Amino acid sequence: MNARAPEASRPNLPLEFQDPRESLGILGFWFFLASDVVLFSCLFAVYAVYHGRVAAGPTPFQVFDLGPVLTETLLLLTSSFTCGLAIFMMRRGSTRGLSVWLLVTLLLGMAFVGMEVHEFAGDILRFGTWHKSAFLSSFFTLVGTHGGHVSFGVLWAAALVVRLWRQGLTPGTARRVYTFSLYWHFLDIIWIFIFTAVYLSGKIT
Amino acid sequence: METSTPKAHEIEQGEVVEISALAPRFEEHAFPWRQIAGYAASLLLTLGALLLVERRLLPAAWLAPVILALAAVQAGLQLGLFMHLRESLGATWHVLTLALAIVVALGIVILSIWIMAFKSGVS
Amino acid sequence: MAHLLALFFPPSVLRPAELATDAGILLGGAAIVAWLTWRRRWAWLWREWITTVDHKKIGIMYLLFAIVGLMRGGVDALMIRTQLAMPNNTFLGAEHYNEVFTTHGTTMVFFMAMPFIFALFNIAIPLMIGARDVAFPKLNAISFWLFAFAFLLFNMSFLVGGSPNAGWTAYAPLTELHFNPGVGENYYLIALQITGIGTIATGVNFLVTILRLRAKGMTLMKMPLFAWSALITSSLVIFAFPALTIALALTMLDRLFGSTFFTIAHGGMPMMYVNLFWIWGHPEVYILVVPAFGIFSEVVATFSRKRLFGYTAMVGSLIAISLLSYGVWVHHFFTMGAGAAVNAFFGISTMLIAIPTGVKVFNWILTMWGGRIRMTVAMLWQLAFIPTFVIGGATGVMLAVVPGDYQFHNSYFLIAHFHNVLIGGVVFGLFSGLYYWWPKMFGWMLNERQGKWAFWFFLIGFWVTFFPQYLLGLKGMTRRIYVYPPGLGWSTLNLVSTIGAFAMGAGFIILVYSILYSWRHRQPDLTGDPWDGRTLEWSLPSPAPEYNFAVLPRADARDAWWEMKRSGSCGKVSAVAVGPIEMPRRSAVPFLLGLSFFVAGFGAVFSFWTIALFGMAGVIALLLSGWFDEHDHHEIPAEEIRRSQAALGRFES
Repeated sequence: MNARAPEASRPNLPLEFQDPRESLGILGFWFFLASDVVLFSCLFAVYAVYHGRVAAGPTPFQVFDLGPVLTETLLLLTSSFTCGLAIFMMRRGSTRGLSVWLLVTLLLGMAFVGMEVHEFAGDILRFGTWHKSAFLSSFFTLVGTHGGHVSFGVLWAAALVVRLWRQGLTPGTARRVYTFSLYWHFLDIIWIFIFTAVYLSGKIT
Repeated sequence: METSTPKAHEIEQGEVVEISALAPRFEEHAFPWRQIAGYAASLLLTLGALLLVERRLLPAAWLAPVILALAAVQAGLQLGLFMHLRESLGATWHVLTLALAIVVALGIVILSIWIMAFKSGVS
Repeated sequence: MAHLLALFFPPSVLRPAELATDAGILLGGAAIVAWLTWRRRWAWLWREWITTVDHKKIGIMYLLFAIVGLMRGGVDALMIRTQLAMPNNTFLGAEHYNEVFTTHGTTMVFFMAMPFIFALFNIAIPLMIGARDVAFPKLNAISFWLFAFAFLLFNMSFLVGGSPNAGWTAYAPLTELHFNPGVGENYYLIALQITGIGTIATGVNFLVTILRLRAKGMTLMKMPLFAWSALITSSLVIFAFPALTIALALTMLDRLFGSTFFTIAHGGMPMMYVNLFWIWGHPEVYILVVPAFGIFSEVVATFSRKRLFGYTAMVGSLIAISLLSYGVWVHHFFTMGAGAAVNAFFGISTMLIAIPTGVKVFNWILTMWGGRIRMTVAMLWQLAFIPTFVIGGATGVMLAVVPGDYQFHNSYFLIAHFHNVLIGGVVFGLFSGLYYWWPKMFGWMLNERQGKWAFWFFLIGFWVTFFPQYLLGLKGMTRRIYVYPPGLGWSTLNLVSTIGAFAMGAGFIILVYSILYSWRHRQPDLTGDPWDGRTLEWSLPSPAPEYNFAVLPRADARDAWWEMKRSGSCGKVSAVAVGPIEMPRRSAVPFLLGLSFFVAGFGAVFSFWTIALFGMAGVIALLLSGWFDEHDHHEIPAEEIRRSQAALGRFES
């Protein structure tokens, strides 16, 4: 949001890049994501060090149930796809298509969060809270931090849908939708690594 | 496939690309082929990794590196096909930053495991 | 009610020192409120400062907090030194001493050095690179208010609820609830997380500002070195601070929510905290010192009237230092016993950093070589920095030798080393920058003669304080002991060290007096270029107008302003070239966001979850309001800019 004369816009670029001031937000958001990569890497490091430190509690093999986890994964992968379609529609200038796919993404995200809450509740009922062991603490924190990010994304997407209805597709809205899509795909990448390094690896004996 | 680069007369302050490897590129298509391909590939890779583990298709020592490699491929697909990695107004500084972030992240995970293994037992 | 009183006012906050501070703060606060009301300044305060998004004003507010932080951390330091002046001293009790050294370190790192650095970034960077503001002015204000409210929250601790007392590094398991009941550590954990969010946002902000908003023609290799140092610092911030956030968050989860990350009983490992803390902690050292390197590079060139020697090598060494700094963190805990291979790896990587740092030192010296040196206060700090920092660096290499470190670790040798680099590098640099950019901030000069008095008191005091500490370390005195018996050969050295600390305190008081004196007896800077400077900020009037540049400048050479002056340009603009300028609108959201975080943080500290949720609801509501906000800019008409430029005498005739 630098101060510059408004005439400097780029008509042949996608809407979210046309206004140079708005486009700064895209680069800034990428830098935030880079920072978030490091944040998650610290949680992965903690999990990697702690996954065998189960004390008197259950082992990863006992805790993980790949059935629901696969459903969660498919929900998130699909939502990443629909989010990509939303941007595709935005690029074609279809506010309607954008809103619909954004709404689908949001609903899939909510379903994912719901599944995860259900999974966590089940784990706690069966095995006890994270007080039991360092493994459980690190597992709930890593996966929960991702879940918290997704929940925040759902709230963000909801606000974007409302904004689209009220203000239409402006460069400002386009930039916000675009940064949301970066966030959403990023969370999908993090989940792929959680699925692989936490759940699947926990099933290798 | 149409690709476009900002034209020279449009280049403003901060948009001069000094490192040619960081030049931006925009892509637009008439049909979402890339998204569909990305989705299909991610489903395939996910189910493939799951199958490898569930059916024990590889020796246990091989499983972890292989499924982690599959995850890395899938992450690359998300970045390349969904996240429009090369798009930017001006140099794509985020590509360089992201590369550094990945190096730092790998360093944190790998070195932490190494440090916390306490291999020597001497202190 | 009695329960609440006991929670808020445990015995540790009812000691005479704390009660006297209470009284002082209440009286001071009342005086400020009375003054604001009497002079009818509340609206002014709200309009011009609290809701501002102007980087120059935000910089000044950071500076104000940094000086208050320096005072608080300095008083803590003098209390520590007073206690240690004599064997078997009873000035402070054991518990009190723990609290004081904890808040000393924490304040100096997070609430003095960091805001001081951000103050100078905010004040100088946009002006230097020819921009009208930072990339995200509102986010910049949010960063500031998160920091300011975290400052408030942290400093509240010793008045309400009790101070943190586990050292500035807050190592587990000492910070675990079982060993450390009470709310003191909660203050530490939550205040630092809040300011950490703001710090990461500042890192992102300055990265985008420097990469995207430079003047036309200013390629990366034409940027002033201070801009390079801000770029490198910001990249270190975004990669290092997440590790601190995680270390603090996990400790907080252990304390407040019963997880078991760092409790041995359930498989946790306190050593993992140490590992995470220093993954942040070592890059943090460079986050602090790299800006100082940038300041010195500007100051040495200006006051030697020479181009900086070896610009490319300077940039290369900054990049090398920043990359190496990610791979050295274990040298803070060689004695933890991670094994010979681990220690050898990190010992060697640590020593490697001395190479690019040495390159920089030679370049500063060679910049002065053959130059026409002016002995201003800013330059004096630069001259004092070189030998001081070299000695600090050399003792650092000694500590990097692993077998040696087993002897030096956590002794006063280490204390002397890191004060040697953090004061001799960072604080000297910040004081140099303070004197250098002060006229640009306020439009009047700081008194040079008083500045030199402050300089000599502080410099001599510094060496008298810390040189004896090297010897004390070699004689076996370890850090964080509050009392020692006579007869160990430590008594005289400790007394000398304490005398030095009070000399540094006197230097600080002279500095503050000098600021007030220079304010009363104002010596205005009418040219905007009092030092015959080389970079673009000196092409502007002091202080710069709200929009900085009436016409955005071109920078076709390094030292752009110096070249302009040589080619006969005088920093004036032609009236025809002036157009309307769009500037960000002031906003109450940053302040309210900081306030909401404060409320949430306060609630979490005391586990008052209703209050905490209330605060978080405020955070969400304010974020939502930002997502719908489309009108955050306003336009200054060309006529108004012409008028203000004419008043400043900045038009070509």
